[in-house]
Amino acid sequence: MEAVVQGDLRSLIRTNENIMATTLDHDLNQEGAADFNRGPNWHTPGSQVTARWRRLAALTRLRPGHAIDALIYLSFFLLIGLPLLVVLIQAVLPNLFDLTAADASLSLAPLARVFASPRLAVSVLNSLQLAATVAVTATILGGVFAIALMRCNLPLRAVISTVPWLVFLTPSYLKGLAWVLLMSPGGYLAQLGLLPEGLDHAFFALPGLVFVHTLSLFPLASFIIGGALAGLGNEFEEAARLSGARPLRVWLRITLPLLAPALALSAIATFAEVLSDFGLASTIARLSNFGVLTYGIYAAASSYPVDFPMAGSQSLILLSLVVMVVLADRLLRRQAAMRLISGRAKPARPYALKAWRWPLVVMMMLIALFALALPLAAIAFRAVSRSLDAGLAWDNLTTINLVSAVTWDSEINGALLRSLIFAGLTALITCGFALLLSIRLDRAAKVMRPVVLGLSLGAVAIPGIVLGFGYILVWNRLPVFRDWPFPHYGAASLLVLGYVAAAFPYCLVIIVNAVGQLAPNLGDAAKLFGVGAGRRLMRITLPLVWLSIVTAFLMTFIRTVFELPMSQMLIPLAGPPAPPVILKFFSHDQDGPAAALSLAAMIAAGGVAALIWLAARRLGVRLGASRPHQTMPSGQKAASDMMQTGGA
Amino acid sequence: MRREAIARKIDNTPASTSASMALTCGGLTKTLGGRRVLQDLDLAVAPAEIVSLIGASGSGKTTLLRLIAGLEMPDSGSITLDGQVVWSRERQVPPERRRIGMVFQDYALWPHMTVAGNLAFGLQSQNLVAAEIKRRVDHALEVTRLAALRERHPSELSGGQQQRVAIARCLAARPALMLFDEPLSNLDAALREDMRVEMMELVRQEGITVLYVTHDQAEAMAVSDRIAVMRSGVIAQFDTPQRIYDAPADTFVASFIGGFSLLPGAATGGYFTVDKYGGSPLRTPAATSGSGTLVLRPEDARPAERHPANRLSGIVASRAFQGRCWRLIVTIGQHRVRIDWAEGVAPGSVVEFSMPPERCTVLPG
Repeated sequence: MEAVVQGDLRSLIRTNENIMATTLDHDLNQEGAADFNRGPNWHTPGSQVTARWRRLAALTRLRPGHAIDALIYLSFFLLIGLPLLVVLIQAVLPNLFDLTAADASLSLAPLARVFASPRLAVSVLNSLQLAATVAVTATILGGVFAIALMRCNLPLRAVISTVPWLVFLTPSYLKGLAWVLLMSPGGYLAQLGLLPEGLDHAFFALPGLVFVHTLSLFPLASFIIGGALAGLGNEFEEAARLSGARPLRVWLRITLPLLAPALALSAIATFAEVLSDFGLASTIARLSNFGVLTYGIYAAASSYPVDFPMAGSQSLILLSLVVMVVLADRLLRRQAAMRLISGRAKPARPYALKAWRWPLVVMMMLIALFALALPLAAIAFRAVSRSLDAGLAWDNLTTINLVSAVTWDSEINGALLRSLIFAGLTALITCGFALLLSIRLDRAAKVMRPVVLGLSLGAVAIPGIVLGFGYILVWNRLPVFRDWPFPHYGAASLLVLGYVAAAFPYCLVIIVNAVGQLAPNLGDAAKLFGVGAGRRLMRITLPLVWLSIVTAFLMTFIRTVFELPMSQMLIPLAGPPAPPVILKFFSHDQDGPAAALSLAAMIAAGGVAALIWLAARRLGVRLGASRPHQTMPSGQKAASDMMQTGGA
Repeated sequence: MRREAIARKIDNTPASTSASMALTCGGLTKTLGGRRVLQDLDLAVAPAEIVSLIGASGSGKTTLLRLIAGLEMPDSGSITLDGQVVWSRERQVPPERRRIGMVFQDYALWPHMTVAGNLAFGLQSQNLVAAEIKRRVDHALEVTRLAALRERHPSELSGGQQQRVAIARCLAARPALMLFDEPLSNLDAALREDMRVEMMELVRQEGITVLYVTHDQAEAMAVSDRIAVMRSGVIAQFDTPQRIYDAPADTFVASFIGGFSLLPGAATGGYFTVDKYGGSPLRTPAATSGSGTLVLRPEDARPAERHPANRLSGIVASRAFQGRCWRLIVTIGQHRVRIDWAEGVAPGSVVEFSMPPERCTVLPG
C-alpha cells in the first residue's frame, strides 16, 4: 500500500461521484422514513408506561443493527485509526514510548531536530521536489498515452491497452531493482554499449528517479485522464469544429479546459503516490544517497535502538503532506463534479490518423519497452545468470538462483511460499469483510455510509510505511495490545492483520462500487416474491457482483505478495515473506538471488491468480453469474421450480 | 407565402441544378466496419427548405448527417453546399469552414462556458469584430428568449433551456445549413411538442435550410417541407409529407408511417381480395392486378352503411380512448387492423365498417 488510489482507479473516480449521488438518495429516503416513523410516537398521547414500553421496544429493535455498526467502526479504528492516532500522539509526545525513561511530556524537539539536521531537512525537500517533478512528467506521459489509446485509431489497441495494467501491477521496487541492473556502470545497457558516458552518474540522482517513477506511474495518470476522456465523448469537439474552430483551437479552448480537472487530479494522485513510495526509495534512491521521507522513517524505525522520536516526527511531516494532498483532491473533485454533470456522452469516435498512426504506435511501444519489457527482461535474465558482469553469454547461464528461490531448505527458506499463503489469507479476509460491509452499507443509515466510504477513500492515501510504524507502536509498545495473545507482535498473524489494513480500503471501494451498481429493484423484486435474505445474497447479489469480487480478490492477492512497507516493518520471527528477502539480497549485492526470487514470485503469483480466475469463472457459471440453468434439463428444472414454490 | 413558392419551384423543376440548391449530395457511398451504410445516395435540398430524414436505426441517416457536416468522410461521391463543392475526391473542406450548424442529440453545450460564451465561441473563431459578435449573440438570445440566462452555465439550465441554447448557438453563427440530430429525443413528451413548434418557427423566420434527422414519423410530418424515408443506405421515398401519407411508394414506406394497417392479398380488375379473410372483395381506385398489399389508414374507417360495397367486419381485440375518437384494434380474418371509431365497442364484440374506395390504396408486393 504505497499511496493514494491504489485500487481500481477508474472505479474509484467514478465511485466518488456515484457515492455522492447515492448518498443523497439515501439521505432523502431515510429522512422521509424517519419522519414517518417518528410521527405517531411523538404525537400519540398515552400513559407513561406504554411510552416507556414503546421506547424499550424501539431500543431492542435497533440493537442488532447498532451492534453491527459499532463493530464496523471498531474494526476500522483498530485496523487503521488507532495506529495512526498513536503515530500522531507519539510525534508530539516523543518520550511516550522511551525504552529507559518514558514520560508524557509535550515536545516539538524531534520536529525541530528534523529541520535542524541537514540530511533530514534535505530528505523532506528531496521528497517534495521528486514528487512535484513526477506529478508533471507522469501526467504528461499518461495524458498522451490515454489520448492516443482512447482517441486514435491505433493498430494493436488491444495489446497496448494491457500495458498500463501490467505496469500498474508490477511493484515499484522490482522496477527499481531492474533499472539498477540495467543502468549501473557494469550493467546490461553498458555491456550492450547502449549507455552513453556519464549517463549512469546522472541516472543515480534525481533524473533517474524521475525517469523510473514516471514510467511506473504513468498508468495512474492514464487511468484518470482516460476516464475523463471517456466521459467527455467527442460531441463537444465536433460542435466546436462546426462552429468554425480549427482543430488546434478546439483542443486549446474546449478539450484541454474540460480535461483540466482530470489533469489536476492526476497530478495530485501521482504527487501523493511518489511521496508515499517506499519501493524506489529503498532501491534506486538508497543507492543514489537520495534521502526521502519514507526511507527516513524506515531507517529510524529499524535502527538499533529504535529511534521512535525521529520516525514519529518524519511520519508526522509525511502524513501532513498527504493530508494536504487529499484535501486538495476532495476540493477539486467537488468542483469538478459541479461543473461536468452533463456527462451523457456516447462513446467517442477515434480520430482517423492515417500515416501518423505508425509513429504513434512506435512511441507507445517504446513506452511499453521501457516501462515493462526491459525491466522484466533484466530481472528474468539476471535470475538465470551467474553474475552481472559476465553479461549476456551462454556460459553465464545457471539455474542455481531459481532453484534456491523455490526450495524450502535454502537460505530463502520458504519466503515465497509464506508470501503466497499470507497473501491468500489476506485477500480472503479482506474481500469477505469488504463484501459483508458493503452489503451492510448499501442499506445503512445516512451517517454510516459516507463516514465509512470517506474513511476508506482517505485511508487509501495513507503511506504504508507510516501505517507499519503505527502497527509497531501499537502492538509492541501500547499496554494491553503488547500482551495480547493473538495477533501478537512478531507473529505472522500481525503481519497478515497489517496486510489486511493496507488492502482493505481499496478492496472496499471496488466492492462497494460493484454492489452499488446493482439496481436495488433487483433485490426488491426478489423480496416481493418472498425470497429470504440469505437466499437473496446467494442467488441475486453474489452472482451479479461475483466477477468484481474476484477482481478485488486477485488484486489484493497480487499486491500483497509484493507488499513492501508492512513486510519490512512487521517481519515475523518465524521467517520473512518474500519482499524483505528480495531487498535484503539486493542490498547485500546478491542481485542474482534477488532477481530469481522476484521472478519466481511473479510467476507464482501470476500463475496462482490465473488459476483462481479460471476456477472463479467456472464457479461463477455454477452460481448463475452467466448462462443460468443451461445445464439443467427442462423437466428437472420444472420439478425443482415446483419444489421451491411448494417449500416456500 | 415564400415557402409555398419554393415548394412550387421544387415540384416544377425536379432536376434542379446543384447551383440553385442549398445542398446536393451525389452518389454518396460510405462503408463502416465492413458494412455498406450508404449506397450511391442522391439528395438535393432547396434554400430555406426543411427536409427530414427518417428511418429505422442503422438506416444510415445519422451517417449521412455526419458526412454532410464533415465529421466523417465518404468513400465516394460528392457533397455541394450553395454551389461550392465541400467534398469530392479532389477537394475536401474541413468542417469548420463549411458554415454548417448542428444541434446535437445531447446538445453538446460546452459545460465550462456560460450561455453567452457558448454562443460567442464560434463567432470568435471566425474572427468577427467584437461589436458584431455582441450584436449576433444578443439577437440570438433574444429570439430564443434566453437573454435573462446569458451568464448561466449549461448545468444550471433545464433540458428545454439547454435545447434552446443549442439552437441559439447555431442561429448566432448564421449557418448556410442547419443539421438537427434527433434534437427532441432527450425531452419529455410534454415539452417535446412545444419545443418543436418554437424551434421550427425560429428557423422559418430566419429562413435557414434545415436537414432534420428523426426516427419519429409524426415529428417528421410536423416539421418538414419534404421527407426522405431511408432504408438501409438508400432513400426509399423523397416527397412532401402529404404525398408520402397519401401515396407511399411501397410497403416499406407505408409500414414506416405509423398507424397504417397493411393487409396482404390479390388485386384483380379494380377489386382487392384480402388473404385469409372470408368477406367480399373491396373496390380500389386503380385497376392493377396481381398480389399486393392494401393500405388502411385508421381515420378512413366509416360506418358500414356509408360504402356498403366496401365492407369489412371483425372482432374488436382491444380499444383505447383517444379524446376525439376511440382507437380500435380489430381482428379481421388473421389480420389485425387499427381504426378510429366513434364508439368504444367492447372487446370481443363484432364491428362492421366500410372504406371509401378512393382511399383503398393498393401497393404492389
